[in-house]
Amino acid sequence: MSAAISPTLGAVLRAERHQLNERFAVARLRHPDLDAEAFAGFIRGAVDPLVGAVARTRFERVTDVTLAAYDIALELVGQKLVGRSARTPHVGGAWRRILPEVAPLVAAEPQRMIGAVCNASHHVSSTPGARPGAWIDLMVRLAGQCSDTATFLTLGQVAAWRAGMAHFRESALAAADKLPESLALAAMDAPGAHWSQVRDRLSTDPWYDPATPNDTSAVPRIVARAGAFRGFGGLFTEPPTVAMADGQLLVRGGSECWLLTADAFGATFHRAVPEEFERARAQSALPEGVSVRGATATIRGTGVALPNGFGEATSACANRTTLALTSAYTHAVVLIAVPAA
Amino acid sequence: MGLRDVFQRVSQSPTNPHTAAAPRTFDVADLYRGPVSSADEQSAATASPLDEKLRQAYFWIVNTAIISPHYDIEFNHDPPQSFVLGDVKSRLTLPSAQSYSSYVLLPLLTFATRRKCLFVGGPGRGKTASAILMGVLSGASVRDVRRAMQHGHPQMTVADLLGNPLPADLVSAQRIEDIRISWRSWLGMRVKIIDEYNRIPTRTQSALLTVMGDNYAEILNHIFECPDSAWFLTANDEQGGGTYQVIEALRDRIDVIVQALAFNPRFLSELLVRIEQNVRPEEVVPRQIIFTEAEVDRLQGGIHAVPLPPEVRRRLEFFASQFEFFEGAAEQFEYKTKDTARLAGVEWAGLTAQDTGRDRLKDLGCQTRNGLSVRVLMTLLVYAKALAYFRGNRIVELDDARQILPFVLRDKLVPDTDAPFFDAPGNGKYRVDRVGWLRQLFDLSCAEYDRLNLDAEDPVAALAAEFHLGLDGVTRGDARARLVKIERLIGEWSKGRKLYGNLYDDLLSLKYMHQRYTNYLRWLETQ
Repeated sequence: MSAAISPTLGAVLRAERHQLNERFAVARLRHPDLDAEAFAGFIRGAVDPLVGAVARTRFERVTDVTLAAYDIALELVGQKLVGRSARTPHVGGAWRRILPEVAPLVAAEPQRMIGAVCNASHHVSSTPGARPGAWIDLMVRLAGQCSDTATFLTLGQVAAWRAGMAHFRESALAAADKLPESLALAAMDAPGAHWSQVRDRLSTDPWYDPATPNDTSAVPRIVARAGAFRGFGGLFTEPPTVAMADGQLLVRGGSECWLLTADAFGATFHRAVPEEFERARAQSALPEGVSVRGATATIRGTGVALPNGFGEATSACANRTTLALTSAYTHAVVLIAVPAA
Repeated sequence: MGLRDVFQRVSQSPTNPHTAAAPRTFDVADLYRGPVSSADEQSAATASPLDEKLRQAYFWIVNTAIISPHYDIEFNHDPPQSFVLGDVKSRLTLPSAQSYSSYVLLPLLTFATRRKCLFVGGPGRGKTASAILMGVLSGASVRDVRRAMQHGHPQMTVADLLGNPLPADLVSAQRIEDIRISWRSWLGMRVKIIDEYNRIPTRTQSALLTVMGDNYAEILNHIFECPDSAWFLTANDEQGGGTYQVIEALRDRIDVIVQALAFNPRFLSELLVRIEQNVRPEEVVPRQIIFTEAEVDRLQGGIHAVPLPPEVRRRLEFFASQFEFFEGAAEQFEYKTKDTARLAGVEWAGLTAQDTGRDRLKDLGCQTRNGLSVRVLMTLLVYAKALAYFRGNRIVELDDARQILPFVLRDKLVPDTDAPFFDAPGNGKYRVDRVGWLRQLFDLSCAEYDRLNLDAEDPVAALAAEFHLGLDGVTRGDARARLVKIERLIGEWSKGRKLYGNLYDDLLSLKYMHQRYTNYLRWLETQ
């Protein structure tokens, strides 16, 4: 392990050798298949660069950061979340790319910062429909603008929403209010705008994307296709059907049911129970002014052509902002934006 | 992180995940919850719902403290895999849902409901260690729990158990009220442990009975009111044997009995770690699973609030009604009970030999020598609710009742091992296996309930529902019509039907309603 690591990290490892070896033994008790080589590789490839970045800003914190990073690395390798047999590349990716960017914050609160980045990247990467790569990119781009840990963590929450975690929409919007205006607007890719205006639009229209220059919100249009065949990495083994209850969109594919949350930034699925779907189906009726006939959906007199090969809709339901349609020929749920009346 | 910390890891929430029901709320703060535990998360764990905390306590005990790899309380979502092994066709079932070890779960439910649990089993199987763990869960130190534990022995006096009058006061006091008492400290503990209770002399057992039954101690007219507490007793012999025979009233106060099952030598490595690391589980109980008094109050409230739906209650009623009826015990209908026979002290075999025309193999009541008391039924309901609460269920399911029932009735429903049922092929084992016998007894009762289609066709339930609406506004004509309905139903049943326990209880219910309507009618006529 020591051949390729930096002298800074090497010095800490030598000085703390006894307790670090004990920690490794403890982790082995918890994870009997803990891969020593994978762990050594992660120390070299991820912990060492972070320790180096911390050494450049606050050298006196190197030992504390190393000990915290060592413990977390043991847990992550033990759970096969990083290293050569990692179930996802994103936790290791987030560590390597984001943490060195915020070395002063890591130096101040190593356990909290490293833990937060790892947990968040794991959360995003394990949520069907979310885009962990986009979350990491956004964090790398903006993390340097965070002056303290609280701002960084809030930015992470807003970035998770933008990376497709639509179910966090309301609470992330509230979190964004706590960010400095320039950072909130940067997180929304709307530099030069006013946060209060952007926020008002976001809070009323889930299909509004501040980063899209041409505003088409007054026109009904296909805004998303959510879900896919399980063989292609999706959730459904057969074409799904949809139903709406209390404004929440439920999807059934075979014997499994899901709650679908969707907005301009993405769509995520969350397990539901069949009784919920059946209850919703009993209540589902298209609102006045919304209809589906043949290959066309009509919203307040404006027709929207359904995708080629969509065929007849097998189910349709709508709330105030979204019309959802399914067909026997696709495993995706087609979502159409319903403009405000 | 030290080696001891390995023993202090608590299972991550949720310990028994349920599919959530919409509508739900999503909080972006959850983004930072995950595989890496943080200080924030640990403090959040202490604020987790109490059923979750109870499950975390269970999993900590079962994974770390008590090596008990026996999942004998089985639950299934889907049909379980099962295998038949050996010449006597032993069945091994692999449950398809989260299942539990009774040896850990029952004491924990006892702790949560503040009831009384007896550990039975051979020496050195961890009975006392388990009881001490329960004491530590209540927030007491290991030292205090050990010191407060009462060890039964043949010379144990009432003073040893409860305390002493101060000697100086005994000499100088002019009135008995002036004698101060030095109460034993264990009386004030929230978890009370009596080790080897069957070695306590009979007279001291009577003093213990007052504390257990009525929650106070008395010496020389002075009273010590004990706090609500959970009790854990241990015995090597559940039949009440030992140095002294346990008095029946004391045994009756025990709510559940759990058996310490044999140690599986495949888990010897776990013992080795404890020796090598010099760790005693009771000394490393994680802070997150310690319950304050207020939390146990809330636990109790939460458990009592779990609803028991009528369809489950009806099956329990049907089961309970099988046992007390004894046709040959008396002339008057109300006294035709096993308790009448027991009080008379007549030889049991002679009474049961009388032919009543019933199928003694089919009649579940023939399998027991007694019926179920009110106390037992209340205990059964409380523990069924506690199990449902522990599993995170919103209502009690039939399986909760089915699984908990053998541990509550183990010492309460006495089998008549001379009954034909135990001589039937394959049933001989039930003379020894109380848990198995009680479980199959409940299954047979449920099968009979289904056969009679009582969920759909229960005329007594219909009459009772009508009666429970109240008598306000019931006219003379209505009351007469209801009386006729009751009489007609009894008349129908009297035509050649054999009398079984459930029918007997139904007839008594009908008589009760008939009497209430008769009195009401009489009252109406005087207005």
